[in-house]
Amino acid sequence: MSWYYIEGILILSGINLVAVLGLSLLTGFTGLFSFGHAGFMAIGAYAAAFATMKLGMNFYVALLFGGLMAGIIGYVLGKLTLNLKGDYFIIATLGFGEAMRLILDNIQYFGGARGWPGIANYTNLTNVVIINVIGIIILVNIINSKHGRNMKAIREEEMASNIIGIDVFKYKLKSLMISAVYAGISGGLLAHYIGFLQPKMFQLIKSTELTIIVIFGGLGSVTGSVVGAIVLTALPEVLRNVKEWRLVLYGATVVFIMITRPQGLMGGKEFRVIHIIKRIVSKLKAPLNKEVS
Amino acid sequence: MSLLELKDVTKQFGGLTAVGNVNLKVEENMIYGLIGPNGAGKTTIFNLITGIYKTTNGEIYFNDSRIDDLKSFQIADVGVTRTFQNIRLFKNLTTYENILTACHFNTEYSMLDAVFRSKKYVKGEKLLHEQAVELLEIMGLENRKDVVAENLPYGLQRRLEIARALALRPKLLLLDEPAAGMNPEETLQLLDLIRKARDQFKLTILVIEHHMDLIMNLCDKITVLNFGKELAEGVPDDIQNNPHVIEAYLGEGDAEC
Amino acid sequence: MTTFLQQLINGISIGSVYALMAVGYSLVYSIMNFSNFAHGGVIMIGAYLGFFALAIWQLPFPIAFFIAAVGSGILAIVLERIAYNPLRKRNAPFLYFIISAMGASIFLENIVIATIGPNFKTYPQVFQKTPYEIGALAIGRLDVVMFIISAVSLLILLIIIEKTKVGMAIKATAYNFKASSLMGVNTDYIIFIVFGLGGALAGIAGILFGMKYTVYPQIGVITIKAFIAAVFGGLGSLSGAVIGAISLGIIETMTAGYISSQLRDLIAFALLIFILVVRPMGIMGKMNEDKA
Repeated sequence: MSWYYIEGILILSGINLVAVLGLSLLTGFTGLFSFGHAGFMAIGAYAAAFATMKLGMNFYVALLFGGLMAGIIGYVLGKLTLNLKGDYFIIATLGFGEAMRLILDNIQYFGGARGWPGIANYTNLTNVVIINVIGIIILVNIINSKHGRNMKAIREEEMASNIIGIDVFKYKLKSLMISAVYAGISGGLLAHYIGFLQPKMFQLIKSTELTIIVIFGGLGSVTGSVVGAIVLTALPEVLRNVKEWRLVLYGATVVFIMITRPQGLMGGKEFRVIHIIKRIVSKLKAPLNKEVS
Repeated sequence: MSLLELKDVTKQFGGLTAVGNVNLKVEENMIYGLIGPNGAGKTTIFNLITGIYKTTNGEIYFNDSRIDDLKSFQIADVGVTRTFQNIRLFKNLTTYENILTACHFNTEYSMLDAVFRSKKYVKGEKLLHEQAVELLEIMGLENRKDVVAENLPYGLQRRLEIARALALRPKLLLLDEPAAGMNPEETLQLLDLIRKARDQFKLTILVIEHHMDLIMNLCDKITVLNFGKELAEGVPDDIQNNPHVIEAYLGEGDAEC
Repeated sequence: MTTFLQQLINGISIGSVYALMAVGYSLVYSIMNFSNFAHGGVIMIGAYLGFFALAIWQLPFPIAFFIAAVGSGILAIVLERIAYNPLRKRNAPFLYFIISAMGASIFLENIVIATIGPNFKTYPQVFQKTPYEIGALAIGRLDVVMFIISAVSLLILLIIIEKTKVGMAIKATAYNFKASSLMGVNTDYIIFIVFGLGGALAGIAGILFGMKYTVYPQIGVITIKAFIAAVFGGLGSLSGAVIGAISLGIIETMTAGYISSQLRDLIAFALLIFILVVRPMGIMGKMNEDKA
């Protein structure tokens, strides 16, 4: 295996991970399921590519722009559908994702269904890693705050959350928006890695894949999501020699995990190592905070 | 002026009247009992007060402002919270996290504060953790701090639910059968705890209960409901001697207990 | 006017096949309270079974039809045993069911790609292409067959549900799963029957779609139409699913006929979101207040 090949897998894992991190907040910590996050990725991808290729924007600004657009659409979708319960919400997100793809199929300005080639390759391993580190820090900071706890409360028991004064709808909306922003940024990275965009890249299966990674890693575990994203992105690549059978295996694995270890790899827990690192970081940060004050 | 007032409150489900023209006045610092046979509409009244159900008719006032058109979380904001008959804890979170979560609105910091770990965040979190620890102690749960709520014994789950409610610093606390499933000893402990909580937090308490001993001991005033209507209202002694009540409730209460 | 009638008939015909899918899906939902996202996989297998029976084994249509229906019914039952039953025994949250269903659906789609191949397969011509002509209207024979088969299948289902003991038990279980099991209804058996019936309907839908269009591994995606139809009618409501499906069929053919066939699916999704926003419980569904 050449480094080039491994690097490619790592970049793809990293790109997936950005979206998975956001989805982890939505699914793992807020308890909402979405089968439409490929739609947010698509928005981010097209918006970022539009920003760099047509407006000549800086790549990183373009990524944020893509994330922002996805976040705005997430806000609108959430406003409309977050009152729905269980399966209805899932079907609504599914409908949203597919609708997004069909809309892009019909926008000839972006190449329609034929696709949009020639997007500059700005994404590399370094910036993917840095973006992921920032993404993880932001996510962990949110989770370890009262806002994150409120989301977990909603995941656990919606009615009790209401009764202790949590504005359930508002927090669901926030969670959805943040996860949409992450997905949008992930899409922007993807566009500038592959160099080519086609609505077909953002089918239902892509949304499913993201959700499966979150579940595989274990709901409510950030480290699980990280491991899940790397393993499950690499797995089909590693199995490439068995060609068509890899996805058969993949599907079977998903069912197998659900019926044997549904709590996922990490079962809601975080790696010890991470705790140790966190402790060191907080110790390092404590004097810094004092200096600031 | 009453802390909580229900005026002609009615709730219908389809054609069925669960609660019909109920009036209720709960004064500050009182422990008020709500009793009645199963299906009398007690829990429905709790659901109406806490905004889980919307009233079909009538008005609910808290501190002289109308709350029946507010949403559940807004009602919690003005100082009314509750426990549930069939315990609704955050099952997979620990005892400590359950309480800590409920402390949330005793401090204000934004999500951006959290992301950047600002001074406001650090200060706020410190305050919340202090409050949570304090509540753990008051409720005698400190040695179960890290137990996942689901794995607590039943009696402690009920106690944790009360602790979680107290974390909000409410003015009015609604307890829905707090002693259900408890043995006599646990019930006695609970009795103490409720009194203690009232004094310490200057609470007003509205309680639904089937344990007659507990109710008669604890409450300053009682309303008896039957088929969604008020049957009687008064101090415990009057209620115990009211022939209507004995007929409708206490008579069959023997069979129930 | 003629075009309108023509589109209306086409819409009802395609809508009736949607109804087969939507009813099967809704039936399972009414009992299990979760969306069986593997329903599409069963439809796809039904379509392939039909293809093999007709094109490879050269069997007459009634036998091919039987194979598709029964084979899919069995597949659905097996699927329930493997992917859902262990979860049910453990009282797993509904999201695990959904993920398991997604996994099963990925599995089915790709096992077909791996063994049969990713290519489109065309059914042999079973019914003559020459349409029935009524005045200025030309109605495809296949459309008529599709409608009749769908209608008869749904009628049989209706009779099973309304007139038999099993049907009564299904209704009771849908109304209240726990109470029914306490009252002595064998809910395992009911789930077995419901998956069997739903699977058979899916298989019938599969062979009909195969005849109308072609077969390919991703044909199961068409179940999204069933979800839309079921949501339109109210999840779990069978009559709602039929009404929703027929309406969707008509709206689609009208969109394709009068606006643009490219917008057909987009309109369907827009409609879905619109309905969810305006009337989330569907036309026939009920909205329940959460019990405390």
